[in-house]
Amino acid sequence: MEKSSRSQPDGRAKDRVGSVDPYGFERSEDFDYESYEELMSEYLVVLTRRSIKWSKLLKGKSKVHKNVKVKRYVRKGVPNEHRALIWMTASGAQDQLEKNPNYYQSLLGAQHDPKLVETIRTDLNRTFPDNINFRKTSSPCMQKSLYNVLRAYGHHNPSVGYCQGMNFIAGYLLIITKDEEKSFWLMDALIGRILPDYYSPAMLGLKTDQEVLGELVRLKLPGVWQTMVDHNVMWTLVVSRWFICLYIDILPVETVLRIWDCLFYEGSKILFRVALTLIHHHQAQIQQAQSLPDICQIFKQITHGPFVDECHIFMQKIFTEPGSLSMTTLAKLRETCRARIIAEES
Amino acid sequence: MSRKKAVKGRSSRSPKASPSGRTGKGLSAAAAPSSGLVYPSRPSISNSGEFYDMAFKVMLVGDSGVGKTCLLVRFKDGAFLAGSFISTVGIDFRNKVLSIDAVKVKLQIWDTAGQERFRSVTHAYYRDAHALLLLYDVTNKASFDNIRAWLTEIHEYAQQDVVVMLLGNKADSTHDRAVKREEGEKLAKEFGVPFMETSAKSGLNVELSFTAVAKELKHRTMKEPDEPKFQLQEYVDKEMRTVGCCRS
Repeated sequence: MEKSSRSQPDGRAKDRVGSVDPYGFERSEDFDYESYEELMSEYLVVLTRRSIKWSKLLKGKSKVHKNVKVKRYVRKGVPNEHRALIWMTASGAQDQLEKNPNYYQSLLGAQHDPKLVETIRTDLNRTFPDNINFRKTSSPCMQKSLYNVLRAYGHHNPSVGYCQGMNFIAGYLLIITKDEEKSFWLMDALIGRILPDYYSPAMLGLKTDQEVLGELVRLKLPGVWQTMVDHNVMWTLVVSRWFICLYIDILPVETVLRIWDCLFYEGSKILFRVALTLIHHHQAQIQQAQSLPDICQIFKQITHGPFVDECHIFMQKIFTEPGSLSMTTLAKLRETCRARIIAEES
Repeated sequence: MSRKKAVKGRSSRSPKASPSGRTGKGLSAAAAPSSGLVYPSRPSISNSGEFYDMAFKVMLVGDSGVGKTCLLVRFKDGAFLAGSFISTVGIDFRNKVLSIDAVKVKLQIWDTAGQERFRSVTHAYYRDAHALLLLYDVTNKASFDNIRAWLTEIHEYAQQDVVVMLLGNKADSTHDRAVKREEGEKLAKEFGVPFMETSAKSGLNVELSFTAVAKELKHRTMKEPDEPKFQLQEYVDKEMRTVGCCRS
């Protein structure tokens, strides 16, 4: 058979692929169905292989213990059917859920701060309007679940309350777990333990990590760093959404989920690996920028296209392309950047 | 993109400022970003490849959910896609080139997250804004009540001569209205800023709000010494439409 007819069996890719993705997101009008089908035909092989390996590993177990093998497995991608389980166990959310039965329900029944409720409500219609499960009329109504999870979390952690960006995170958790209580405990794991204080009113953890990324770029990619200095671009301008939204709505859904597999298992360092890979891979392009708007534009462009669509290859690259990144380096940089910001703000 | 002429921003004047905010006094001071503060001696080309004679930075500010992104998209693309917007996280900008009395004026319009905690990130950008469009939602009293706080913040962080315009958005929602037009007018008068009601949904005064600001900024830049000042409020009063099309 000729190659063209093999990759293009009868009918159009658009009819075979469908206009809504497996997570409920409507594909955009300019979605490239042909490329997607080609990509998926390769990725499905990977997914099938991983699925068999994971089934063997889990063999009816309801928990996994962390070890080198599981870590390697996670980096190669958790099959969607096991995602909720792995995220729950790797992050410690499962333990919390078991230790605190009925806690989530009690939060839902508690009196709520009207200001918190109002802030959350403002964002309900503005969370994934392009996802069929998040419409007011959809059944089951994920918008209602989103409201519950965010309200419960705001009540559980009043020092954070609700911060924009958390709506997208809770939304993804609901899409994957299809369970409010699990989503709540995964939020707790992310915001309470895995991430620094990104979402608290002072957003100190966010400001710190933006500067830490800047320092890492200075060390690893001095040319890019110089370009940013020359055009006086603050890192917050180009990467704040990357950190706050944990790459949701920045990278393709499948790629984000693969990143989150590692985020729940390995921690927030993975966010830097992704950022550094994106920047490293496009350093020449960034260094050609002529102005601040140019740089902003390029930072938007580099989060699209085949490089990030091919999630399996991308995930291999994040562990090689940026080079070594030790937890010690990161901890040190976080400490110095944080101290600097505190000194500058006071 | 490499076709473009290099545009000098603030960096040439404050060479010490770095993206990491290491130098200078504070994060906001050191890192006030250059933002297309551009008065090119000859026409430049904007991102979309369009020529322009002068460029200004305009910022949209106001509480979360008042319709900043909708207003911008309405102005930029002429579209209102109900229920298709996601909450703005952080800060973003779009360009639009307007023709003002045969002069091509590029507006670089910055859209900001409205939630209070993001202000510590966004107010660093007020510093070199030429104009601020301050929005409230006429169906949301709290967003109107917060305008005073916003104005205080603007006074603290923006340039002295920044052009500020107050906009009461969502003016099409007649039965949910919680703030009368007169209340908006009164507050605007108290602070000496021009005022209009707008609707990103119907398009009411959207174009005008940006055009008026562009006119004012262009006039300031090109004014001859003996020429009278551009009367922004007068212009707006003459041009604006009110809900239902005629003033009662």
